[in-house]
Amino acid sequence: MSTSKRLHFALALALALVVAACGGGDDDAGSSGGGGSTTLTISGSSTVEPISARVGEAFNAANPDVGVTVEGPGTGDGFKRFCAGETEVSDASRPIKDSEAASCAEAGINYVELKVAFDGLTVMTSPENTAVACLDFADMYALIGPESEGFNNWNDASALGAELGGTHSPYPDAPLVITAPGEESGTYDTFVEFVIEDVAEERGQDAAARADYQASANDNVIVENIAGNPTSLGWVGYAFYVENADTLRAIDIEGGEGCVTPSDASIADGSYPLARALYIYVNTDMAAENQALADFIDYYLSDEGLASVAAAGYVDLPAAEIEATRTAWESSR
Amino acid sequence: MATRSKMPTTSDLVKASISGKKTDFVGIAVAFILLLTVFVSLGILITLLADMLIKGWSVFADRGWDFISSPLSPDPEKAGLSQAIFGSLILMVFVVIVAFPLGVGAAIYLEEYAKDTRMTRFIVANMRNLAGVPSIVYGLLGFAVFVQLLSGITNGRTLISGGLTLAVLVLPIMMITASEALRAVPDALRQASYGVGATKWETIRHHVLPVATPAILTGSVLTVARAFGESAPLLLAGAVLSNFFSAPAGTGVVTLVTEGDYTALPIVVFNWARQPQKEFVAITAAGIVVLLVILLLVNGVAIYLRDRASRRAA
Repeated sequence: MSTSKRLHFALALALALVVAACGGGDDDAGSSGGGGSTTLTISGSSTVEPISARVGEAFNAANPDVGVTVEGPGTGDGFKRFCAGETEVSDASRPIKDSEAASCAEAGINYVELKVAFDGLTVMTSPENTAVACLDFADMYALIGPESEGFNNWNDASALGAELGGTHSPYPDAPLVITAPGEESGTYDTFVEFVIEDVAEERGQDAAARADYQASANDNVIVENIAGNPTSLGWVGYAFYVENADTLRAIDIEGGEGCVTPSDASIADGSYPLARALYIYVNTDMAAENQALADFIDYYLSDEGLASVAAAGYVDLPAAEIEATRTAWESSR
Repeated sequence: MATRSKMPTTSDLVKASISGKKTDFVGIAVAFILLLTVFVSLGILITLLADMLIKGWSVFADRGWDFISSPLSPDPEKAGLSQAIFGSLILMVFVVIVAFPLGVGAAIYLEEYAKDTRMTRFIVANMRNLAGVPSIVYGLLGFAVFVQLLSGITNGRTLISGGLTLAVLVLPIMMITASEALRAVPDALRQASYGVGATKWETIRHHVLPVATPAILTGSVLTVARAFGESAPLLLAGAVLSNFFSAPAGTGVVTLVTEGDYTALPIVVFNWARQPQKEFVAITAAGIVVLLVILLLVNGVAIYLRDRASRRAA
């Protein structure tokens, strides 16, 4: 038995060595160790992550000595790590909150806010649902807001919509099936902030969506549910809508100046009411010490770097705003 | 019931003479329902596999080895699994190195040495409970202990933290399977060994372990396979949920393991499944196929080791 046991051990050891050798094949160029080399860590919003990942990939290809890690746990989690000094750059799909800024200040983290792109929320339904073409904020509050719980038919919300002055009530007599991001998502926060908060405050209600809709953390699931149900309603980020424009229909949004269809143009010029800016926050002390980080941000804000915005499915800033962002970065150094 | 063979066997004849010539409707119904359960469970599995193969086939056909050997990328045409496979395999090495000796050692002590006291029974019962704790709880533990508390040793969010978290996760299961294997060894074997004057250790080493080894090995490999598919605890233990990460050029394997960022196969599949671009659907499916193939290989190794060990023991 002892020979057999030894054999097993040898087998396991050999396996471990083979594994280590195989795995190393791709990465083991010089085997010199990481002395003196740097890795930049970019964390934060999963919405901004696709932009930063593209910039990071291109930057790393041009500067292989600098490692780049891009991840997207969410804007809030990103700021937590950023204010603890664990990351160099934080992606954000909303401006930093006062409480987050306070914790950064407490930790002595100095930063600069750089606007890099626009994103829109798209409220959408199935292409078969031709009865609803446009909604205003009162309509959406009546259909999705906290007082709409239990409405299983679009028509159930008509009375509430009319009371609030929703210009598109009464709504059609059809089953109302809502699929949208869950409460943990920044896209949910943005929707509540844009659409529900003001009306809810006026009426003494919680600033939240109704609790009885189908929530999903996976935007692709939301897209599929909305496409698969002829009288569905829901919202996702603009990039998901663009990728699935053939199976979905965007509902126009009325925010005071007539119905506006979400498009690159209407999001960039600010006429689409459900548009938001996307930001990166850079730790300025680290940028002053670390030339690689400064180079990375320079590249991010160059024309070549910002080309990633469109590649990731978002909307470019207008030229004036790009200049403003570059000025903000230059003056922070 | 055995209507398939033409010649009635003795047991058929006996059954027939006792139950008369009546048809056994209940028996037929039960057999039919049981057959149905086989079809349903197999059917679900095959549908899933076929669906993934159909969706992901284009990736293997168009890119072949490139899909396996490329690093992550936000561009689905270029994204590959090399970093994920590297991470997953190193994690498995950690699980084997840490959980196997600890789990088997503890099992040998509890089964062979420990007296059957209330304390022993309390420990064993607790181990069984631990095996049923949801994996996300081990993730929280991994984050608190390995990523934060022991960051001086593990360097925070590294493969060491992830590997130790998975090792702790499967430790109770490893111990239970080894215990069951030892318990299945007939006591007569031990008595006979003592009878010819062998010591306790000699008995365990020459008589108990050889008989238990096939079952221990099978259980261990299946346990490792389970760790391979875990994603939730790794997300907490610092695996990067990302479309791009890269260490500085020239970073050695040791530095990658002890200091670098890492990811694993199930994490990459999860991340790809939530990307907006349509092209990610195909590589997600292809990633799942690769994951399943590696799991099949691991299970194949388990079967090979078991057969080999039982031949030796026999």
